[in-house]
Amino acid sequence: MLDPALLLQTALSGILLGAVYALLAGGLNLVFGVMRIINVAHADLMMLGAYNTFWLFSLAGVNPLLGLLAGLPVMFALGWVLQRFLVSRVVRSSELTSLLLTFGISIVLVNLALYLWTGDYRSVAYLSGSVVVGGMALSKVRLLGFAVALAITTAVFLFLRWNPWGRAIRATAQHPDLALACGIDVDRVRLGTFGLAAALAGAAGSLISMMYSIYPEMGAFFLLKAFAIIILGGRGSFPGAFIGAVILGLIESFAALWTTATHAEAAAYVMLILMLLLKPSGLLGEEE
Amino acid sequence: MTGLRALGLAAVLAALLLPAGAPAYLVTFSLQLFMYVVLAGSWNIVSGFTGYTSFGHVAFFGIGAYTAAILITRLGMAWPLAALAGGAMALVLGLPVGAICLRLKGPYFAIAMLGFAESLRLLATLWTSLTKGGTGITLPPIQTLVPTYYAMLACVAAVVGVNYRIATSSFGLRLLSIREDERGAEAIGINTTRHKIAAFALSTIFPGIVGGLYAQYISYVDPSSIFLTLITVQTIIMTILGGAGTVLGPVLGATTISVVQEVLWARFPHIHQGLLGVLIIGVILFLPGGVVEVFKEWRLLPRVRSI
Repeated sequence: MLDPALLLQTALSGILLGAVYALLAGGLNLVFGVMRIINVAHADLMMLGAYNTFWLFSLAGVNPLLGLLAGLPVMFALGWVLQRFLVSRVVRSSELTSLLLTFGISIVLVNLALYLWTGDYRSVAYLSGSVVVGGMALSKVRLLGFAVALAITTAVFLFLRWNPWGRAIRATAQHPDLALACGIDVDRVRLGTFGLAAALAGAAGSLISMMYSIYPEMGAFFLLKAFAIIILGGRGSFPGAFIGAVILGLIESFAALWTTATHAEAAAYVMLILMLLLKPSGLLGEEE
Repeated sequence: MTGLRALGLAAVLAALLLPAGAPAYLVTFSLQLFMYVVLAGSWNIVSGFTGYTSFGHVAFFGIGAYTAAILITRLGMAWPLAALAGGAMALVLGLPVGAICLRLKGPYFAIAMLGFAESLRLLATLWTSLTKGGTGITLPPIQTLVPTYYAMLACVAAVVGVNYRIATSSFGLRLLSIREDERGAEAIGINTTRHKIAAFALSTIFPGIVGGLYAQYISYVDPSSIFLTLITVQTIIMTILGGAGTVLGPVLGATTISVVQEVLWARFPHIHQGLLGVLIIGVILFLPGGVVEVFKEWRLLPRVRSI
């Protein structure tokens, strides 16, 4: 049980998985930070990204990574439209209102996918096999997923840090009224934020389609992971989401090593509830 | 007002006499409708009045269903007792959870309750020696629906009664003050913690009982069909559509949505779930205050707290 090579391999695969989770949770956290909206449909946008990659790959033979790139503008546009016509109308209402609205969107997206593509399990068979480094076998596709997820997350982090639009997003998250007073077009920032979050979710979906089976209801399984991550890492904090994601990846990876996959899933919930009780603002989040 | 009274009386009479003449289909439909009225009405007690929106209401329904199923199959307990035990169990397990989680505010409370319900689903899956895990528990089939129907109707009466008592009491006013401004309520000397926990406790009992009744009537429980988040969401959307924090709101909302769903389900079996999503979006965007408030505005209902 305590073979060091096995432990190291478990830790590494947890970190590899964590980066993909970070991509998913980062977008959810951006929307929460900027608009105080918990987007229940976020993981269903991820599902759409996964299907986008799958169809491009299986019908036209498009490389999944190109499929990911092609998905970015499409998902951005979808996020923009959702924000423009639905979500923007509840930004100033209570959390419950936005929670239910996005739940409604989630139900519509899932059922649309079920209707169009049936409930069959599908997968993108790309880059099988693994590389062996120092006695540890690491799956190629997870390494690739890690690299791509890390690259995108870093790019978004830098964008938020230095780009004028990125800074406008952070300013709006900190204080919408002051941001407005400083001449920031808060409504457009919100549109862009939701679009960006949808694009990130789609990218995460593309990567996940290479690792897991995809099906219309897959979102629910990932949504609670994403919740646990942003609660752990800190609400509204983009780097916090990354740390939370890696911790969740590690917990799941080790839980799966020692117990069963269902126990691993339970670990995420336990972590979420403990964190809510002990430090609701999360590791890197700001106090209310 | 007299017209309303007559309408209400007619509805009660119809509900009481229904099993005597109506087809079995209508009895089954009413049974499910009553179940949702109770769920919506009990959610209203904590979330409608105090504004603390629980996203895990199905947890108490599930606790009741599993408690009753286990008591009936293992101990051969009579179903009315088993259902009451389900309510008691929901209260016993719910109270500490409420006491802890009600310290959280806004979205954190909602997510914590969602996490609680999902943890119970996993617990029911993992604790196979007690719950038979994912296989589920099969209960003895029931001979007739009528006793269950009246038990469910009694729960409706009880939950509407409790809502009425709360809405017309100073206790209810204090709960509303927590919803409007918790700090303000504290400042004028209301023990908000105690009030929130009391409302939460009241709201756990009824879903526990109807969970038990549901288990007995459907004669099968398993983790994924019992601890279903969609049940929570339907409960919430029914209350919102009717009017959260009102007495009649949960009744009207549950009835409207149940009927609409029944009609949609019959007409469009493939996409009725998707249409439910559209319905939710529509209610949130166009009727966030609920129909009871709209009716009060149009003077179709008197502007009193007892409605």
